[in-house]
Amino acid sequence: MRSHTIKVGAFFIRNLLMTRRNAFTLFEVLFWPAVGLASVGLLTRFLALDADTTAFVLTGTIALSVVQVCQLDVAYGLLFDMWSKSVKHQFLAPIGVWHLVAGSWAFGAVRGTLAFLVMAVFSAWAFGFDFLKAGLLPLGLFLLGCLFSAAAVGVLVCILILCFGYRAEVAAWSLVSMLMVLCGVYYPVELLPSPLAVAGRALPLTGILEGFRAGYGFSPAGSAPFAEGFAWGLAYLVAGGLALQWAARTARKSGMLLRLSE
Amino acid sequence: MWVVEAERLTKTFVTGWLRPRRREALAGVSLRVPPGAIYGIVGPNGAGKTTLLSILATILTPDSGRATLLGHDLTREPAAVRQRLNLVSGHANFVWSLQVAEILDFYARLYGLTARERRVRVEELLEWCELTPYRAVPYNELSTGLKQRLALAKGLVNRPELLLLDEPTVGLDPDMALKVRAQIAELRARERVTILLCTHYMREAEQLCDQVAFLKRGLILAEGAPADLKRRLGLGDAIRLRITGRPADLAGLPGLLHWAVQDGLLTCTVDEAATRLPSLLGMLDARGVRVEELRVTEPDLEDVFVEYAKPHH
Repeated sequence: MRSHTIKVGAFFIRNLLMTRRNAFTLFEVLFWPAVGLASVGLLTRFLALDADTTAFVLTGTIALSVVQVCQLDVAYGLLFDMWSKSVKHQFLAPIGVWHLVAGSWAFGAVRGTLAFLVMAVFSAWAFGFDFLKAGLLPLGLFLLGCLFSAAAVGVLVCILILCFGYRAEVAAWSLVSMLMVLCGVYYPVELLPSPLAVAGRALPLTGILEGFRAGYGFSPAGSAPFAEGFAWGLAYLVAGGLALQWAARTARKSGMLLRLSE
Repeated sequence: MWVVEAERLTKTFVTGWLRPRRREALAGVSLRVPPGAIYGIVGPNGAGKTTLLSILATILTPDSGRATLLGHDLTREPAAVRQRLNLVSGHANFVWSLQVAEILDFYARLYGLTARERRVRVEELLEWCELTPYRAVPYNELSTGLKQRLALAKGLVNRPELLLLDEPTVGLDPDMALKVRAQIAELRARERVTILLCTHYMREAEQLCDQVAFLKRGLILAEGAPADLKRRLGLGDAIRLRITGRPADLAGLPGLLHWAVQDGLLTCTVDEAATRLPSLLGMLDARGVRVEELRVTEPDLEDVFVEYAKPHH
């Protein structure tokens, strides 16, 4: 157990060091989420939305930013090595892919929580968003659900990198946009055409958003949206973990680990 | 027990989706490395050296064949293998903005070293690789030589029983290459480690290796101690003599492999110079040929390499 903690800690510490070294990571955590929130918040003003509908929209913006910040950290567990062409050294060590995901995600959760706090305070100050209205437990579940969803997205990015190499790098920044369309970030999922709505219901973030928005008077489609969201999240994480192991095996077979190295 | 025992390893790389291209990198490599040896793998570019080392390092899966490393099956017990080996490559790269000590600490964590073990090991390696003054320097600010020394230090972080070195001195200036070679030679005694060294510098292989295997087009063409390989190829020692007069046919000289005269320079290749030189000089004297200058050179591994690199092999 101690050895596993040390290995997981390696990725946590590395992401921490890289964040401290790079001023641009502050933009990821503070600047871009704030810019996104400001523009969407101003749009709600322009459209003269009521407080609850404003909360609906801002909740989506906050969720999307938290997922993006946290999933990037998971992806960084592999991307830092890919960019510096040192992937093989990591896979040469006696670690499992879950060490990489767990360590990077844990640091992503710290950054994601920081981004959440900044956005919550900013939205309350700038747009009067009462983020405590739904209650502390739903708020905690909402944040946890976003971080949980981020883990699944980050794992998917890692799988794509191990399968397609440099060509998949863009997935780290673009996959979240897919979530935006399918999870009902800015609208209820029911507005989507039928097959897409079904797909949207099968994504963890959909349930998490519905569960939190219930506190603002928006009825969820299911009876236990949080449970649904976490169940989907767990299913994706287990499936993602297995797929990531398969991707690592495939990368050893195809020589991708060497192509991503010196 | 062998440290490395590989049987008929094969690997073919397939690239492209629509029209896949196949490139055979290993065509059935078998080798055995005894404990404590420095075993060299030499061969021209594209021979399959890095592929072989990558398979043994478990970062590449062979298509067929089997290998055991330190008693563990490579494909069935990769985690046990990884714990006990490490790899150092030429042109090594690590995360650019991490500092030297942080890089070593990161990899030490990946091998599960506790905080105390890491502190001791990192300091030990920084000192041995003369990196202590650079401990807080980011990787991308190091010179090529320092990067290579860091790569060597990283390769030792888990006290490996088997160390795989892939062109460890490539791109280094001669001074630094000498230093790295000296460190490799010292390693065996210091860390009691078995070393598998891939190189295309014949002098490096000759200096460091007890056994050498010649790899070409994914196959091992010859294997043995450097001196054995020279003997096996019948390269012989070269005796070069500056002479006045032209000798008659020297064919009768025992142990003579071939000879030639050009511009007053007689070159005789004999199986062993020390034994054949007196008879050669006697023969020349008897034929009235005066020797003004004499030089004996033994063939080096470079000659063996050139011979094996010829198309007929």
